[in-house]
Amino acid sequence: MTHAEAAVPGATGESYLDHGRGIRSWLLTLDHKRIGIMYLVLIVVSLFLGGIFAMVVRFHLWNPGGGLVSNDAYNKMFTLHGAVMIFLFVIPGIPSALGNFVVPLQVGAKDVAFPRVNLLSFWLFAAGAVLFVATLVVGGLDTGWTLYPPYSLESSRGLGILLALTGVFLAGFSSILTGVNFIATIHKMRAPGMGWFDLPLFLWALYATAIIQIFATPVLGITVALGFLERLFHLGIFMPEYGGDPVLFQHFFWFYSHPAVYIMILPAMGIVSEVVSVFSRKPIFGYRFIAMSSIAIAVIGFLVWGHHMFTSGQSKWTNVIFSFLTLLVAIPSAIKTFNWLATMYKGAIVLKTPMLYVLSFFAIFGVGGLTGLFLGALATDIPLHDTYFVVAHFHFVMVGAVMIAFLAGLHYWWPKMTGRMYDERLGTASAVLVFLGFNLTFIPQFFAGVAGMPRRYATYAAQFQGANRLSTVGAVVLTTGLVIALWGLLASLRRGARAPANPWGAASLEWTAASPPIHDNFAVPPRGGRPYDFGGLRLVSDEAGWVRAGGEGA
Amino acid sequence: MIQMPERLAGILLAAGPGFMPERASSVAEGVDHVFGFLFWLSAFFLALIVALTVFFVVRYRSRPSRREPEASPDHDNRLEVLWTAIPLALVFVIFALSTKVYLEMTELEPGAAPLRVQVTGRKWSWWFDHPGGKGANQLHLVAGRPTELVLASTDVIHSLYVPEFRLKQDAVPGRFTKMVFTPTLPGTYPILCAEYCGTNHSTMLTVAVVHPDQAAFDAWAREGQGAEETLVQVGERVFAEKGCSACHSVDGSPGVGPSLKGIWGKDRKLADGKTVRADENYVRESIVKPGAKISAGYDDVMPPIPLDDREIQGVIAYLQGLKEAP
Repeated sequence: MTHAEAAVPGATGESYLDHGRGIRSWLLTLDHKRIGIMYLVLIVVSLFLGGIFAMVVRFHLWNPGGGLVSNDAYNKMFTLHGAVMIFLFVIPGIPSALGNFVVPLQVGAKDVAFPRVNLLSFWLFAAGAVLFVATLVVGGLDTGWTLYPPYSLESSRGLGILLALTGVFLAGFSSILTGVNFIATIHKMRAPGMGWFDLPLFLWALYATAIIQIFATPVLGITVALGFLERLFHLGIFMPEYGGDPVLFQHFFWFYSHPAVYIMILPAMGIVSEVVSVFSRKPIFGYRFIAMSSIAIAVIGFLVWGHHMFTSGQSKWTNVIFSFLTLLVAIPSAIKTFNWLATMYKGAIVLKTPMLYVLSFFAIFGVGGLTGLFLGALATDIPLHDTYFVVAHFHFVMVGAVMIAFLAGLHYWWPKMTGRMYDERLGTASAVLVFLGFNLTFIPQFFAGVAGMPRRYATYAAQFQGANRLSTVGAVVLTTGLVIALWGLLASLRRGARAPANPWGAASLEWTAASPPIHDNFAVPPRGGRPYDFGGLRLVSDEAGWVRAGGEGA
Repeated sequence: MIQMPERLAGILLAAGPGFMPERASSVAEGVDHVFGFLFWLSAFFLALIVALTVFFVVRYRSRPSRREPEASPDHDNRLEVLWTAIPLALVFVIFALSTKVYLEMTELEPGAAPLRVQVTGRKWSWWFDHPGGKGANQLHLVAGRPTELVLASTDVIHSLYVPEFRLKQDAVPGRFTKMVFTPTLPGTYPILCAEYCGTNHSTMLTVAVVHPDQAAFDAWAREGQGAEETLVQVGERVFAEKGCSACHSVDGSPGVGPSLKGIWGKDRKLADGKTVRADENYVRESIVKPGAKISAGYDDVMPPIPLDDREIQGVIAYLQGLKEAP
């Protein structure tokens, strides 16, 4: 019996990539792996589309007077940058693309609980994405991604806002359905012997995320539906001229959109938990605390939305309560961070690309989280609100932390998804450039914000030119890093070495399936085990990967 | 306890020209203290995270002589308690320091009668109605005199932001919002719009002029007086034109509706037993939606009166002048 056969009982049979040919076998597939790949394609396209908008913004701001495009065109650029990045990249990126691929494999199941709902979810998302792009065709949208009325619903607005609201509605529905699927899958389809505390932490993170998706996203749907009706029929909900209240929109909007920040960051934290443990060759430290802190973040995350309205005129005691609740989020975040660091203690740290991305996550998430204190604390939020300090803060969380964790996860699971090893040198180069470029882009923005530069400015005072130019140079470096990452991954499809079932020596179930997995994932239904027990694993060779001593599958 | 980091922060902030704007209001120092505390706290924890990351990677890197991890526990409840309790304690400290300063930011300083300015945001400029009837597209204030800005907007949401004052307040259409502070340092400071409002959002700029004393302010306020209708005059005219005076007296005598003499700023008894302070938003509501809150002893008979924002501001200014009932 060879090592590969010993480690991979399901290695026989054709891979999911060969199971069914032709475009229809992809577009109408019920296979969670193919749906995950389709999500991945859309999401990466969205990332680069949003990136193009960002580069227009950054080059426009090279000079204080702007000048690359008109003010109106600039306003459309930052609106589309925000809307595309948030709704089509950051929110669905990890759960829908990586999560769809990984969740059934990690629980040891054949597929998600509701494969047809999964396909519907994908097509709703695709339809939402098409509507976003359609707003470009009908003249663009300049409301900011936050869509605040009265500005967003003024009667002079045409089709653009209606398309965007419908697009958000559809993307939101897609998100809800994905959440339903993950909760059902994690509850009902775990392999025999896999208890709740045998779940890989990525699944705890996605479980917490799914709770938020199911409870918060309907509020977004209702809000954009009301906005749609308000614009067409003047119901008097959000528009003061018809008797409505624009701050009510802000409450509704942030009741979803703040928890949405945790829809973005929790899966990222899940990836970090997997990667830091595997590449330290040590069980994750404080498993239960990391798992429970995900749930704590999901719960507290519902109670902090009011911190977006500290300057809106809401009562001061409301502000005080929201400030306190907001600061509480620091605690589960700190618990996670220290547990990750403790995982590396006395480990045998392997600096492959996923781990490099995770190491940069620690510093960047540190800055993102700590600068959140300045915005949760009322005294400092009042001057900093709506300045570049906020822009820098949320980019540290959403780009720095989430996108970098997405890249870590993408490199980590790439061999499983494609059956090919990416080029480690290109991966390393991309991780270093992304880290440097990211910091160069966004650290100067903290300084500009403290000095008083408001966000969403097409032109600015000369004193901020230095910060803006550093930022633009940083954005070029960051983009270069991303292009190298993409190139390295795509090139591996043709030139990459064949990936073994378990190239990293990980202990969770997806690594007992073949790379790429067969259509049914596992030839023999696996038993759930201990996802961070690396004890019996040893590296046979780069080609054969890691196998568990004794030849049993996990 | 926070003296040390503040001093350090002061040194660092002074080292970076243009990093922190000048302090020109009563609240600026308190805000900067909280900022300094958070800055050094964050710097400490970031340094800790980065140092541990770098140290562990260097020390525990997998290399030919060291392929296996060393034995170490996979959890430790004492450590978990430690790194839960320390952040929790710090959250309380941050919350206490920040909230104390914030509550000071929302209270007028006692003492001299405040300078009240009606602020109107519109695409894409600001308008300021100063006491004594002087309107201007710049904000004029007096150093050392407590100030209350009452903000309104005629179209979309704007936000009045003065970095040197460390203050910001949204101007929301359909309601009034307030910003209170005392300017401390004579000078001219930029006013920016901080809430995105369309094409010229980034050029919706003007200045706040802080006069060194009341006399300088008065001299400015007298320039070109009488050319325009003042807010009080607008209110008086509206009060007559719209027929308000048919039901509401201004001298305390009874009528179909309550007399408006001396009601400004007082608590009003309502028909449902609640009380409400007669402030800007109450007056606005009583005009555009009179049935919402009915004064005790009166009937819900008043029709809504559609007034524009400036007319409502005028009525408010007029009511503020109707002093004390006998």
